[in-house]
Amino acid sequence: MMTAPDDTQPFRKVLIANRGEIACRIIRTLREMGIASVAIHHPVEARARHVREADETVEISGETPVAAHLDSGQIIAAARAVGADAIHPGYGFLSENARFACAVSEAGLTFIGPDADTIALMGDKISARQFAADHGVPVAPSVMPTEDLAEFTRQATEIGFPLLIKAAAGGGGKGMSIVRSAEELEGAARLAASEAQRYFGDGRVYAELFVERPRHIEVQVFGDGKGSAIHLFERECSVQRRFQKIIEEAPAANLPAALRDEICASAVRLAAASNYRNAGTVEYILGADGRFFFLEMNTRLQVEHPVTEMIIGLDLVRMQIEIAAGSDLPITQDAVAANGHAIECRICAEDPERDFLPETGTILHLDAPQAAYLRFENALDRGQRVTADFDPMLAKLVAHGPDRAVATERAIAALHELALLGIKTNIDYLARVLGHPAFAAGELHTGFVVQHKAELTAGEPDEATRDTVLIAAALGLRDFRDLILGVPEPHASIGHWRN
Amino acid sequence: MVLKLDLDGTVHTITILARRPHLVLSVDGRRHVVEGLDEVGDGSRALTLDGGPVAFARAGSADGAIIRLDGRSFALRRVDAAAEASAAGGGANVVRAPMPGTVVVVHKRVGDSVQRGETIVTIESMKLQMKLDAPRDGEIAEIAAREGEGFDKDAVLARLAAPAEG
Repeated sequence: MMTAPDDTQPFRKVLIANRGEIACRIIRTLREMGIASVAIHHPVEARARHVREADETVEISGETPVAAHLDSGQIIAAARAVGADAIHPGYGFLSENARFACAVSEAGLTFIGPDADTIALMGDKISARQFAADHGVPVAPSVMPTEDLAEFTRQATEIGFPLLIKAAAGGGGKGMSIVRSAEELEGAARLAASEAQRYFGDGRVYAELFVERPRHIEVQVFGDGKGSAIHLFERECSVQRRFQKIIEEAPAANLPAALRDEICASAVRLAAASNYRNAGTVEYILGADGRFFFLEMNTRLQVEHPVTEMIIGLDLVRMQIEIAAGSDLPITQDAVAANGHAIECRICAEDPERDFLPETGTILHLDAPQAAYLRFENALDRGQRVTADFDPMLAKLVAHGPDRAVATERAIAALHELALLGIKTNIDYLARVLGHPAFAAGELHTGFVVQHKAELTAGEPDEATRDTVLIAAALGLRDFRDLILGVPEPHASIGHWRN
Repeated sequence: MVLKLDLDGTVHTITILARRPHLVLSVDGRRHVVEGLDEVGDGSRALTLDGGPVAFARAGSADGAIIRLDGRSFALRRVDAAAEASAAGGGANVVRAPMPGTVVVVHKRVGDSVQRGETIVTIESMKLQMKLDAPRDGEIAEIAAREGEGFDKDAVLARLAAPAEG
């Protein structure tokens, strides 16, 4: 048995090759497990929360902070220097870098994640798709690139409509079209081929089944690296902007039980077939007709893992650490039960009114609501500068409830209460999304934000609101206030207070 | 004392009508009674306005304040006499680059009349395309942007003709 005895720690010291909220979240679990934590940081983030909360810190250097966090050699050297036995990569940065995982093992340390060859297999879109198809995981039917238009048309007709046709060498929407009937097919294929030739010097065209109003459904899996795997149910992440998730929930809304079982079972099949070790997420697109297709597998902890934790009642980071240390899966599939509903909102420094363009600024005031059913995952400090150095995601607000309606209500109330002032964020926008009737009805698809753009735009405040805001602002200005309170003139002029 | 605050591009005027027995303020000519004067500075605050309780959060910024009320945040900028004077020749009349980038499309020409929110130029910054809109209704006085050309942050890309009054 590889299982670590209950009274010993799986590791003595773990280095976290990440920053921000996810580093703080990993530190929390390490502390609960009695394992020492090591944070890494670039000089510009020397006073960041994750640095203050860790037991030990190592400064890493680089031309940019991101470059430092991607410097695997430096990070592994730091881990060895402080005597860490394992590295947790978090998400992003080096978390899905097979060479990093390999280098960590070669340095005699444990990589808290899948084996390097699994990361490599799933990291390549073509090999991952082929592996999924070989193991009975549905992939979107497609016609492989060809220049033979007659053969292309024959194969494409077999798949059915609507079809997405694009240049094999393409990108940027050039030579791309959606074909809805056999009559349009030949003309569209001819056009795509000529556009492909013109733009890319390669006339081959490719076609795949086009899923209209697709939903993004993903399944959390865990494997022990020995062929056993379980799922922890699905998450729905259909609400996206700029192809990035902004609201995630578990379980998915209005998903028939039989379909849920089928999707989850196929994810487990994929994990088991690859002898998957540790945490992974199998992503699918789901069409309105109930057909679902493999999108990709993420070989790491997801940003949105808290929604799963809140309905399952398990700490996924703890599971990752224990499995990395050689433990068996801590729970059998039959024992995994979902309780209630959880919704996560990604709070980003961006301007929803300006196409979600990233914003920078200084956090002047932060006041987050607290409740047993809420998690506010963040590494924010008052006075902190939010720069363009890192991703614009500032924090995650996660709400749990006995059902979807209550979880939604709680998330909206929490967003209303959350005061994060000094930088433009999407907080108010997220509340409008959650309050939209189509969200409440569970009518989700990846084009939700675009479809409902008009209703999701902030309306003009009414006169009463505007006057209240103006008065609230005026009363905070020192000189205006001094005038009201009748402070004698010399004092008033000394205190020409602007901050 | 007359206090002027800019909210979403519109300047509002606040004056003190009476201090006792209650504070009475005028906002653009509308009368409001303020009781239970809140604390100065950042944080969660409360006061009584026209007899009803109001709870909000406030943070003072370099040149104004940010107020969060009923789940919405509002950024207010103080307009002093000097700033107002310069605004007459700039301020709400100019379209500035929010970050360095390249001009992709110029949608308007000098002399075109535009409505607030209408796109004047499309730029590309950090691989993202972004539309820069007219800050108010008006007429285009100058287009400094040329398609394909680069610019720095805060560069003036277009200018609106000064409004007929104030």
